[in-house]
Amino acid sequence: MARGAWAIAVPLVLLSSLFGLTMEVRAAGPSLSILSPANDQVIGNGTAVIVRFAVSNFALVQPGRVGQTVNPTEGHVDMYVDGAYSRLLTRVEPISLSLPSGPHVIRLQLVQSDGSPLAPDVSASVRVLMTHGPAVGTPTIAIVWPKPAAETGHDVYFAIEVTNFSLVDAHGQPNAPNEGHLQLVLNGVIQEPRAYDLGFIVDMPDGDNTVTARLVNNDNTPLSPDVSTSVTFHIAGATNPIGSEQLTGSVSGILAVILVVLLIRRRKAVARFSDQKDRTS
Amino acid sequence: MNRTTLILVCVTIGLVGGSGILAPNARAAPGPTLSIVAPANNAIVGNGSPVAIVFAVTNFNLTEPDAGPSTPDSGHAAVFVDGGFAETSSTNTVVIPLPSGPHAIRLQLVMNNGSALSPDVTASIAVMVTRGPATGAPGLSIASPREGALLGTDSTVSFRVTNFVLVPAGGPAGVPNEGRIRVRLDGANYSELTDDAPLHLNLKDGPHTLTLELIDNGGQSLTPAVAASLHISVRALVGRVQPFDATPYFALANVLLGLGIVAAIYRKLEVN
Repeated sequence: MARGAWAIAVPLVLLSSLFGLTMEVRAAGPSLSILSPANDQVIGNGTAVIVRFAVSNFALVQPGRVGQTVNPTEGHVDMYVDGAYSRLLTRVEPISLSLPSGPHVIRLQLVQSDGSPLAPDVSASVRVLMTHGPAVGTPTIAIVWPKPAAETGHDVYFAIEVTNFSLVDAHGQPNAPNEGHLQLVLNGVIQEPRAYDLGFIVDMPDGDNTVTARLVNNDNTPLSPDVSTSVTFHIAGATNPIGSEQLTGSVSGILAVILVVLLIRRRKAVARFSDQKDRTS
Repeated sequence: MNRTTLILVCVTIGLVGGSGILAPNARAAPGPTLSIVAPANNAIVGNGSPVAIVFAVTNFNLTEPDAGPSTPDSGHAAVFVDGGFAETSSTNTVVIPLPSGPHAIRLQLVMNNGSALSPDVTASIAVMVTRGPATGAPGLSIASPREGALLGTDSTVSFRVTNFVLVPAGGPAGVPNEGRIRVRLDGANYSELTDDAPLHLNLKDGPHTLTLELIDNGGQSLTPAVAASLHISVRALVGRVQPFDATPYFALANVLLGLGIVAAIYRKLEVN
């Protein structure tokens, strides 16, 4: 290639490269992303959710600084939880949120220093599901006491063993995975929703009784699939004969013996007097 | 306009401008301001959650305490709860766990050395913290037994509470959606419940009326009142299999045997 051609080509290439780079820089506007938790992640054991986020091409600054001017390349992050304003963030650092059981939506939005949103809007959202139960695992239930076919009195404590499920007080909170109550059903009739793994049913009827222990959601609906177990045991009635019956029966026996003895002796006496009378006559 | 007049006008304008009449705003910079963005005044913070206070400042640089010289345009916010100092914050959000009840929160801008600005720059709000939900109407229903049930001497009553948290007595009065349950039996106070464990009853035979009512920490009925009533009948040994009891028959036999014995002793012998 001739020297003159190089002299033209090189500046053209450099200019086009520079132009391309410039276009790229202009295209890369502010961005915001939530690194954790993942969308629809279950946060278990009643722990706080830790929100980690990243910001690029945007400078986080404290709003209201002395002499501050508003421009679209700097500002702060507004955090909303379930639509309600929650935090004003000027640092990229993990945020700990203590949230009640149930589903929640966390939204972050980049805003300028005067609080106005960027154009176009730059925001990121994530859904989380909070629970006091474990985040993973399948709930199970077992009745430890009474044992099947056991013979008991009328008032019975039920020892229930529950795994992968947290029993919580019921106060109308939304359903959450692996969290809820224990329901005891006696012969088909619901007795009590409980927050404890020790049930108590009093004054049960004599005979065979079947009690079903079932895990239910916070709104008392059964889990899906159903998690329940049953036990049939026997409640013995009162002993027969009873004490007063034994006492009066024994007295009757003694009196009967005495009466028989008296009658025999009386019969013998009559016979003896009859013989004496016959001999004297 | 001749040259002398022009000079006089320029000198006059210069003197007036130099005296500050024309440019008062350029010289007197606005002072710092402080406002609380969230929560709103008199907001209810539910579920026992910590209170996240978001505040905004203008013309003030938030810095860590003791970071740099003390000037009236930089420093941090001092947070006071119910009149007592709680903590400082050099960011626009401060999270404070608070117990149930009403609380007064005051923020004050202070310089790096902790001294207040002059004039003082503060902002205050009042919040109500409850262990119950922040919204929703409380509800109460009796789950078991059913209305009109026939029960034995001992029985248990289970109930369901919604939008209300049962807490031990002694909490501050006036806190929404938290408190306990007052139990009335046949019109008289029977007990108070502070958790959702079933109520154990031991009743004599006959009809009974049981009423459960939600009350606040001060022992007062809610407005409107939230209560549930149940009518039951009690009969001892319901569901028990009664064994045959021969005691009365034995007793009658004993009487007859006794009469027979007396007759056998005292009746004269009849000799043919």
